Amino acid sequence: MLKNDKLSKKTRMNGFFWILPAFLFLVIIIYYSIFYTFNLSTIEWDGLSPVMERVGFDNFAKMFKDKVFWKCIQNTIIYFAITFVIQNFLGFIFAAILHSDVKLPTVHKCLIFIPTILAPSTMAPVFRLMFSPQGMLQSFFTKAGIPITVDWLSKPNTALFVLMAVVIWEFTGMSFILYYAAMSQIDREVLEAAQIDGAGELRILWTMVFPFCKGTTVSLAMLGVIGALKTFDIPYLITTGGPNHATEFLGTYIYRQGIRQSHLGYAAALSVMLLVMAVVGAFLTNRANKGDS
Amino acid sequence: MIKLQSKKKRILLQILLLIMVVPYALPLVQMFLGSLGGRGFYNYVAVWETGVVPYYFRNSIIISASVILLVYIFSMTAGFGFAKLNILGKETFFWLILIALTLPEVILLTPLFVTFQRMHLFNTFLAVIFPLAALQLPFTILLTRNFDEGIPSELMEAAKIDGATTVETFWHVILPLTKPIGSAVIMLTLINSWNSYLLPLLFLQSPSMQTVTLLPQYFQGEFTNDQTKILAAAVMTALPEIIAYLCMQKNFERGMSAGALK
Repeated sequence: MLKNDKLSKKTRMNGFFWILPAFLFLVIIIYYSIFYTFNLSTIEWDGLSPVMERVGFDNFAKMFKDKVFWKCIQNTIIYFAITFVIQNFLGFIFAAILHSDVKLPTVHKCLIFIPTILAPSTMAPVFRLMFSPQGMLQSFFTKAGIPITVDWLSKPNTALFVLMAVVIWEFTGMSFILYYAAMSQIDREVLEAAQIDGAGELRILWTMVFPFCKGTTVSLAMLGVIGALKTFDIPYLITTGGPNHATEFLGTYIYRQGIRQSHLGYAAALSVMLLVMAVVGAFLTNRANKGDS
Repeated sequence: MIKLQSKKKRILLQILLLIMVVPYALPLVQMFLGSLGGRGFYNYVAVWETGVVPYYFRNSIIISASVILLVYIFSMTAGFGFAKLNILGKETFFWLILIALTLPEVILLTPLFVTFQRMHLFNTFLAVIFPLAALQLPFTILLTRNFDEGIPSELMEAAKIDGATTVETFWHVILPLTKPIGSAVIMLTLINSWNSYLLPLLFLQSPSMQTVTLLPQYFQGEFTNDQTKILAAAVMTALPEIIAYLCMQKNFERGMSAGALK
């Protein structure tokens, strides 16, 4: 490699113009927006009036006193913890089962993965119906004589769990595909040897296969943290953040404040907070990853 | 991977798989059955007769194709530059791109909302294409750079000795070798741009400009909450995606997982 670099110092062309188009593009759209947001977060403005009032850190002070903001944070944490555990558990189990010579593997694989490629906006009307008293769950309960009313989306204490079920439905395919790929790398002879030594299947799965897939779990944790912070489509489309902010996330709250109610400064302050959390979250999971391996 | 010894266990496993997979199929069943409620197949006819469906598809195709084109060109050139060429302050530039990796798109809303209005870009495809491409790029550049670094530099030196310019080397040596990552980038961008909802929702106000992800919403207005027709519209938007996936399973799966695997 060293020799190579010495050679290339002279022969290698300057590559600045190769990265320039992509870089300019990102600066114009992303960095412009970030700086605009930082600036806007210290202003009180409705987007139309010529009067823009500099308010310093007032928007941030308001944010920390805002109960809905804390509700968003709480929802994001619950959402991440529960979906991360269940979705990856299911993905891992599916991957292990489909590696074990079952019948019709492709059919099962497709059924698990199709939700991942479908747009949440396409599926939202389906879920609104499914979790309503007119849906198939209700008719199942009615026929089976179980006295349950499926009005979970209109109740603050159950709506969030319905959304989490939808998210798990959607992204198990992602966890599954990644675990499935990781498991293909395992040396089967080692597992067979353990089996001959008398280790049970579940024990092999937990003490040998799961630790082997650790890298995948960490990648999924990183995707999960960023995904939880980015959450917008599913709560916005199914519950619009309600009832009474019970399913509000930072994404939906920023949209509500900024676009619907024209509190641009406040929405910008929330955006700054979201950006900081996303960068810190990604940095921490990345560091946990490096520290462990 | 793990061979189950007894036949009984194997049958149990098959049953367990079936039970676990049913919940994943249920929403699709609900979607299909729901779309046939009321007047049955006529729901599909009613949706089709509004005449808007082809426009929504056309708009989604234009937007996705443009985003893919931009992302592909920018990631291939930048990935090559970062992996194989001399750039002053290369890592600083790369680091600046990586920060944007975690950016939630909702942060772009307010700034772009105000700016696009001022620039009269509202209700144009560009207002959706540019931000979508910018949101994809950090990731696809990272993928392409990592891939390109695996290409032996000797190949480039050989091309140079043969008198090839950097552009020729890129075109004849690098591009053919980067097909696997190129197709992953294209698939990932296709799924993300085709499914994008927030940016079209905000920037494409007139129905003739909107994308398939806004179709259910359009019919909510049109059929004032006649669920069956809204679901028929949902089936019509989901079906092409499902068919595309079934035809190109490997490509889809590789595209989606490329991101997490680095």
